[in-house]
Amino acid sequence: MNKPQKIRLMAHLVAGYPSLDESFTVARALQAGGADILELQLPFSDPAADGPVIQEACAKALSSGTKVEDGFRLLERIRKELEIPVFLMSYANLVVRMGVEKFVRRAKSAGAAGLIVPDLTPGYDEGLYEAGRGIGIEVVPVLTTGTSASRLESILSERPRYLYCALRSGITGALTRPSEEALYFLDALGGRDMELMAGFGIRKSEQVRALQGHADIAVAGSVFVREIHDSSGDEGSELFQKIKSKAGELSLRY
Amino acid sequence: MTGGSRTLKDAVNEALRHWSSDFETTHYLLGSALGPSPYPDMVRYFQSVIGQEVAEQIEERSLDVEAMIACVGGGSNAIGFFEPFLERSSPRLIGVEAGGRGRQTGEHAARMNGAGELGILQGYKSLFLLDSDGQVQPTHSISAGLDYPGIGPQLAHLGATGRVEFLSASDEQALDALKFFARNEGVLFALESAHAGAAALELAPQLSPDRTLIVNMSGRGEKDLFLTAPAFKGEQWRNFLYQEAQSHE
Repeated sequence: MNKPQKIRLMAHLVAGYPSLDESFTVARALQAGGADILELQLPFSDPAADGPVIQEACAKALSSGTKVEDGFRLLERIRKELEIPVFLMSYANLVVRMGVEKFVRRAKSAGAAGLIVPDLTPGYDEGLYEAGRGIGIEVVPVLTTGTSASRLESILSERPRYLYCALRSGITGALTRPSEEALYFLDALGGRDMELMAGFGIRKSEQVRALQGHADIAVAGSVFVREIHDSSGDEGSELFQKIKSKAGELSLRY
Repeated sequence: MTGGSRTLKDAVNEALRHWSSDFETTHYLLGSALGPSPYPDMVRYFQSVIGQEVAEQIEERSLDVEAMIACVGGGSNAIGFFEPFLERSSPRLIGVEAGGRGRQTGEHAARMNGAGELGILQGYKSLFLLDSDGQVQPTHSISAGLDYPGIGPQLAHLGATGRVEFLSASDEQALDALKFFARNEGVLFALESAHAGAAALELAPQLSPDRTLIVNMSGRGEKDLFLTAPAFKGEQWRNFLYQEAQSHE
């Protein structure tokens, strides 16, 4: 335990799910509920690092015509009308298709605080890290508790300000907790001048509390997407209340 | 496969998801010449037994080979078949992609000759069928093995250097070739390999009789019976299945 300050919440949403306007409502609700950071995901046709809930959200967003530029505009609107910082999450193919440097510039001009591209890892990143440094935007490496010591070393050599750890749960069931190994892994990474983001399928406040002291930022993703899914057909105000209340729970406000 | 577009691409996504959550106890083994390094090299190496045997037989029989022809989905059979010949300037090496319902319809899986765009998917960088944003485009082919939006990175490179030429054959041409070889040679091509057969039928009339074309029959057609039988003998096939079902009631 070497993270004494209160753990913050990074709440995830898919741009254009269920629609661009409703995505903005969700962003507003997440901020109102107490989320500290947003992770805005650009929908992708083949989200191979995501489970069924986010896969479905991506498919829905794309089938209703969401383009990459719509994602950037949504980011701009969030930055203009809300206070909350936004990390933009994308799969490599969207970045490479636009051109790495152009993508990073667009993300920067739209107001992103950082970029999370799980399939562009340091050393295999098509120049993403260099572009991030040059243009002035944080690029967040993603790793797991299974990342080897030598890989970890090359990742840390990029001197990232943030590190995103995808933890695997120790116990499967209704309420998973981070395993002892996962917490040990986080603790071993602590004490450096960087902030640790950690996510592992967080749905309840107890799970966030279990990370307190081990990570700086808890990442909750599919829980909100599932909440949106279950609210389909609701009025915007109901969606807002539900998301706000869930964000309130996970940000340990209540 | 129940997810996504229910093709090879979606099966690979699902395998990658499973592996990435269970990699401590699970190996990911890939049967095509694509995916992250070193899979393309490993698969080419293992599949090269095909090409080595062909090279021996060419020598034994003193064949004057114009071209070697293989179908290309991900490209495992093609890269293995071509492997011993890649450093030579002859014979011509021809890869045949799935032309599906015709390239102009958009319902195909032909990535070379201009349709594919540089991308990164499923752990490798190569040419893929993408839209202007980089979303992966749906593909179509009558053969499940060719119904895939990406091509092995080495084959994409060999296409760019010109060592491997690429053609495409439509669903219909593949079925016609399958029928032709079954009738005249007594061999039943898999629908994938029938694409290579179709290209051979196109090329053969242009050659003098002493020249040889070698077609890689990379798979057998028995597995495709439920696709080929209705395509060739729709009514008889339906009646046959109906009678079979009744006899088991």
